[in-house]
Amino acid sequence: MRTKYIALALTFAGALLALNHASAVNTSDLINTPVTQAKLAPSEELWQTLQKAAVAAHALSYQGIFTYQTGQQSKSVQITHYFNGKGEFARNIVLDATPREVFSQGGDLVIYSPRNEKIVIEKRRGQNMFPAVLPTNLNLVKENYNPRLGEVENVAGRPAQIIYLEPKDNLRYSYRLWVDSEYGLLLKSAMINGRNETMEQIGFVQVSLLNKIDLDWFVPTIDSTKSYVMEEDAPTATSSKADGKSKVAAWKINGLPSGYRKVDQVERIVHGKTAPVVHVIFSDGLASVSLFIEPVIKGIKPKTGHMLVGNTSFYSSVNSGHQITVVGEVPEATVAQIANAVSFKK
Amino acid sequence: MSEQISALIDDEIAAEDAMHIITSMQSQKQAAEAWQYYHLIGDVMRGDAAFSKDFKQNLMKKIDAEATVLSPAAQKASTAVSNPTLIKTKLPAAWSIAASVAAVAVVGLMAFDTHMQNTDIAPIEIAQSIPSEYLLAHRASAPSSGSYYTQPDYVQSVSFSQ
Repeated sequence: MRTKYIALALTFAGALLALNHASAVNTSDLINTPVTQAKLAPSEELWQTLQKAAVAAHALSYQGIFTYQTGQQSKSVQITHYFNGKGEFARNIVLDATPREVFSQGGDLVIYSPRNEKIVIEKRRGQNMFPAVLPTNLNLVKENYNPRLGEVENVAGRPAQIIYLEPKDNLRYSYRLWVDSEYGLLLKSAMINGRNETMEQIGFVQVSLLNKIDLDWFVPTIDSTKSYVMEEDAPTATSSKADGKSKVAAWKINGLPSGYRKVDQVERIVHGKTAPVVHVIFSDGLASVSLFIEPVIKGIKPKTGHMLVGNTSFYSSVNSGHQITVVGEVPEATVAQIANAVSFKK
Repeated sequence: MSEQISALIDDEIAAEDAMHIITSMQSQKQAAEAWQYYHLIGDVMRGDAAFSKDFKQNLMKKIDAEATVLSPAAQKASTAVSNPTLIKTKLPAAWSIAASVAAVAVVGLMAFDTHMQNTDIAPIEIAQSIPSEYLLAHRASAPSSGSYYTQPDYVQSVSFSQ
């Protein structure tokens, strides 16, 4: 019964996105123009290739299997992506370990994952889902990274042009992108730290363009005998249960690390907290960082310090009776600088 | 707002003219919930397959079993229950009442459920661990490409060095 209204909501959301977002992209254009491979290409040409890759991830229909690897884990995912000229539909099935199915229509995601005897259903907003890791507007990326032409290398049996995106400073990691020489689709992406170690890698092991135009596959293969639990991810300002508004004092941000922009701010209910927490999101076009501000809670020892887990940096500090926590897939310097940029009005 | 959402569902407002409703549904939880509930109510009223096959029968029996104080027709209904074929012929009129009852019950249940989810947050011990709740929040709203495919559970076991 719940799946039913989720499907409705999803269908509806997709229709909206189609209205807002998918302004006519000419798919045939993408396929027919081969990616330029001139040696010593000026950076503008590389940006064009990346621009095309950003659009191709949304505007082409394809299916395949890709693997996602970090230092800690590796997952294989089967993807089917379909664009009908107006809207995007994608299904991602995690093939390893616990099965998970991620359905997206436009930017709205529904994730089905079994947990014990139940199926947990989460709704999220989705961006940057592979292979759509590049934003279609590259302006912010251009401000922060320099492109450099690499070799041509095979990925998933297809020739791909390597393009490096090298950071202009040490406040972000560098990226290595493999772009399909024929389709312009991003085939593989790796995030590399300052010591030239790969932090995260995601790439196709098999990919092909999709010809069929039905949506029969756009159905979760969940066990219908199990019951469903909706996981509410509610970054809404108030909840009936909490004391309404967060108790965070007036604050401002001065001296963000260069190239980072504030892209969103919400008050969210965080698991285990009694009052809403202020959540601010920053982006440099590729990397994103979250800042959380909350009053120090009585009886709970506030946290300070830095820590790197996998490719994620954490930084905690205490400032004027507030616990500041910064989390992001960026170097330590960046999370520290964002935490220190917060000041409270006396 | 609720009225406008209802009108949109009933096709009384053209989708092109409804962008403000749609926008508010995207941003306001209340409006989004109204949208879902109205659809659910609609489904129930139309008798869509949201319920099991014998739901109708069971519900009719339950309603018949209830003491109906105000309705003089109650006597008739209780005689009808002994004959299942009679129930079927009587369905159209009775069904809309049953559907309303069901809809109210369902909406009530769902509201109850949401309430339970919000209040049922167990306090967790975070003093010794990395703030995994923040990692989850970060990934939910500013995700890296891999975060959709990985179960976040592992973060709980990693300790936070001070």
